Amino acid sequence: MKKRHNTRFSFTIIFLAAVILIWSHGPALAHKVTIFAWVEGDTVFTESKFSGGRKAVNAPVVIYDKDGKKLLEGKTDNKGEFSFKIPKITDLRVVLNAAMGHKAEWMIPESEIREAGPFVEKKSAAEPTGPISVGLSKEEVQKIVEDSLDKKLRPIVRMMTESKNTKPSFSEIIGGIGYIFGLMGLALYFKNRSKKRKDLKIQDD
Amino acid sequence: MHISEGVLSAPVLVTGAALAAAGISVGLKKMDYEKIPQAAVLSAAFFVASLIHVPMGPSSVHLVLNGINGLLLGWICFPSILIALTLQAILFQYGGITVLGVNTVTMALPGLICYYLFGGFIRGENRLLSLVAAFACGLFSVLLSGILVAGALLSTGQSFIAAAKLILLAHLPVMIIEGIITLFCVAFLKKVKPELLGGVYEKTS
Repeated sequence: MKKRHNTRFSFTIIFLAAVILIWSHGPALAHKVTIFAWVEGDTVFTESKFSGGRKAVNAPVVIYDKDGKKLLEGKTDNKGEFSFKIPKITDLRVVLNAAMGHKAEWMIPESEIREAGPFVEKKSAAEPTGPISVGLSKEEVQKIVEDSLDKKLRPIVRMMTESKNTKPSFSEIIGGIGYIFGLMGLALYFKNRSKKRKDLKIQDD
Repeated sequence: MHISEGVLSAPVLVTGAALAAAGISVGLKKMDYEKIPQAAVLSAAFFVASLIHVPMGPSSVHLVLNGINGLLLGWICFPSILIALTLQAILFQYGGITVLGVNTVTMALPGLICYYLFGGFIRGENRLLSLVAAFACGLFSVLLSGILVAGALLSTGQSFIAAAKLILLAHLPVMIIEGIITLFCVAFLKKVKPELLGGVYEKTS
């Protein structure tokens, strides 16, 4: 009996080890799909990918306003990107429908659009009527700083989206297996308790 | 194979949950002392298998291992797969909590069907026949899963034929790989521990 248990146990270990080994060397492609959207000026850029980095190509993207009304739709290009002009200043919900029942969404709050877009102050109005002075006005400086910040921050924003899409970490996997065996322990414990109680009853009788 | 959160309509989710609950209750009833560790090991294998990805077209597909789960566990594959799916949903965001019922049914039911379809041949004396049946068990469990997923996606307005075609095409390599894995598992178990293949329901029924 003991030998048998050993065989089963080592089989399990070998199997799990093999599985983990294959996982760690195999292509890091996952099953979850994510979409990320950011605002630049009056345009919203979106990037869609499966976790692990593979782009979601040619997948339909639908934009809803905060009441759930469909504003527009489009398809991601071969880089998984899709951009559109902001149709309306409101909370935007960007929904990606990848094939086979995969779906992801991203919310753009109204405040983000207002901050990024030229909606607060009209660019064309400020320029021609501006005073012919040597220095720049406060608004202009602010505008220039924001524009260059947007440009400089873009790679960082991208990096952040990429880091959001990493494959499951090793600790998560081991954790999950741990949970399963913990549950097994619990189940055995309760089975054992009820069995003990039964045995006690028989003894009492 | 996992259907994401928010894709399916409420009636489909409720039907899936009800079917899953029925399967799980039967499975829990059949789960006796010796089956608990077995179920845990197979649950862990299922949990990890989803991390092995095969790149396919715009998406990627992964191993399912529901055939071997069903074959070795019978009805108990319902609770076993549910636990693995719950952990995948929590830790990796594969699928989702509300879709758990549907996902459990789409993966466990094919395992159960294959268990009844091929179990007899696999336990049989004829070695060649049992190996062929093992291959078919792995292959058909994924095939049936794909058909069930396509059926569930019907409610989203996707045409069944188109969805089924896409899913089956994408899973073709997985079907073959699963078939081979199931074949090797059966060959191994027949040699090392044949009662694991036969014992599961001889005792319970």
